[in-house]
Amino acid sequence: MQSRAGARVMWIYLGTGIAIFALMTLAGILLRAAQAGWIPVDPGTFYSILSLHGVGMIVAMAIAGLGTLWYLVRREMDLDERIAYLAYGFFIAGVVSAIISVVPGRYGSLWTMLYPLPFVGTYWPSWATGAWLIGNALVMLGFMLWCAQILGALLEKYGGVRGMLAIDYVFAKRAFTEAGRKPPPPAMFAAAITAFDGFITGTVGLVIGTALLVHLIDPSVAIDPLWAKNLTYLFGHSIANLTMYMAVAGVYVGLPMCTKRAYHTSPQLAVAWWATLLFVIIAYFHHLYMDFAQMQWMQFVGEIASYLAAIPVVVVTVYGGVMLVHRSGMRWSLGSMFLYGGMIGWVVGGIGAVLDATIPANIDLHNTLWVPAHFHTYLLEGVLLFTLGWAFVNLEQRADTVSSLMLRWLVGLGMFGGGALFVFSFYIAGAAGVPRRYAVEPAPGPLWASVATVGAIVFFIGFAICVFEGVRLASLPKSDVTA
Amino acid sequence: MGNAYLIFNIFIVVAALAIIAMLFLANYRSHEPLPQEVVTSRGYTLRRYWFWLVLVVAVVTFAITIPYFPYHAAGASASAKHFSVVAQQYSFTVPAVVPVGVPVIFDVTSRDVNHGFGLYGPDGAIVGQVQAMPDYTNHLLMTFTMAGHYTIRCLEYCGIAHAAMQAGFDVR
Repeated sequence: MQSRAGARVMWIYLGTGIAIFALMTLAGILLRAAQAGWIPVDPGTFYSILSLHGVGMIVAMAIAGLGTLWYLVRREMDLDERIAYLAYGFFIAGVVSAIISVVPGRYGSLWTMLYPLPFVGTYWPSWATGAWLIGNALVMLGFMLWCAQILGALLEKYGGVRGMLAIDYVFAKRAFTEAGRKPPPPAMFAAAITAFDGFITGTVGLVIGTALLVHLIDPSVAIDPLWAKNLTYLFGHSIANLTMYMAVAGVYVGLPMCTKRAYHTSPQLAVAWWATLLFVIIAYFHHLYMDFAQMQWMQFVGEIASYLAAIPVVVVTVYGGVMLVHRSGMRWSLGSMFLYGGMIGWVVGGIGAVLDATIPANIDLHNTLWVPAHFHTYLLEGVLLFTLGWAFVNLEQRADTVSSLMLRWLVGLGMFGGGALFVFSFYIAGAAGVPRRYAVEPAPGPLWASVATVGAIVFFIGFAICVFEGVRLASLPKSDVTA
Repeated sequence: MGNAYLIFNIFIVVAALAIIAMLFLANYRSHEPLPQEVVTSRGYTLRRYWFWLVLVVAVVTFAITIPYFPYHAAGASASAKHFSVVAQQYSFTVPAVVPVGVPVIFDVTSRDVNHGFGLYGPDGAIVGQVQAMPDYTNHLLMTFTMAGHYTIRCLEYCGIAHAAMQAGFDVR
């Protein structure tokens, strides 16, 4: 099922995602430099850029991850690339709409657009809120189109939900294998759960987006703020979380390429993905711990679900990845370094997230800089590294070469060293109680914002070197070994 | 400075252990490769123990933290004195003085958008918080053990002057 058309889809998605990521990183550096007091940015401009930065980063990583997954599914079964391009068109239209909302419109209600904020005391015109909501809806429509195509293809190939989720394989493994059947490969679970949960997430996003649009058109239509908050976080948390599960498909396929070993589907892996399917949807409860009006059972479930969500990660996927690398004789390259480093970043960000998801700890950390601390670890040192790792493993294999030791050190120092400094300053400032989303932070926020800005600049230099190296590898002739 | 720095220290220690363990496992005798079956055979055996360890830690931590959940508190203290807190862009209406050493309940709501009622003690550490929501009243039970001036900061993004939304009261 390999084809140049399939690879083209992947590289267009990957390239677009990485390009948006680069622009959003520059926006992020500007924000931290403003909080450090290095650059004067008025609060209105600050919150407009923050709105774009937040949504832009998630969309960037999602586009890259969806491209990788689409290509991996295409290796297993037939997929019409025209649908992938149509979904891509929705993504780009959504991004353009969001940019219009923010740049001339000065929208500044952040990605959360927490009702009734986009309509009360605004410093931007109401059309900018409309453009923001339509932009989000376009991205969701593209995402759901992608989900529908992938879900349809997986269900057809594996004979329904039982086959797609390997239910017979788990409960009757002997009969299953004796019948000559094979479970889906690991990356197909990532595709299935992304598509399944993505459909739920997209639907919820469209419901809350439509409700807000209706309120924009007719302000007499009231919305329950707690209902809106639940839907907003179900949508936002789940899609951000799913970017990791999209990117992890690159680990399932990329690490075996680096280690010359196989990552097989096991019953444990299948069950881990069933658990992930559930936890991605219900873990958002932890965003509402400080809403005491929320039903109490949801708070209890939120904490235990947030804990249990870590088990598939540390007991199956990351554990399996470590087993794959351990004593494999793997050669360190940019690709393998990113894939393995991404697993470390995933675990570290996860530790920060689990601590914040502990209700008594959340009293001290909720909406402090601890929150961006853990999700920046997760995105920069997890999702991004998996994305780049997958790209580099392919580029290195294509050219049958690896980057020089000096270049690997430069990129490593920049992206791991600078990245660590950047996220550390978030954690320590969060522990000091510095609130998140403050254009002007109380002490010791500005001090740690200065450290973060230095870390982010070093990270960006490493990232830029890495991108140039990627372009260089892509321009090399295809090796005879892989041709 | 209390709980938050304890959490930070736990984070640093656990994260450092995870990083060291993963780097060690990737590099340990990496020039002496083993067949994959040998590694997976040992790994699957260890994984059973690892699974149960992670599960038990998760469930026990959950059980230990339940008594410290802030939700049951308001109903349990019928004799506590109530103080009304109203948030609106970009100010709080709060009492001027709150008694020290006795349970008090803040009845927190909002006139316009979502805000956060974040309570910072005299030493600058967060001692409690709850969301201030329109159409809802959240009840936050507190017993102040330290006299002094407490600062309130908005802990939910509420608009252009979010960072300037502050108030305070004395505890004595």
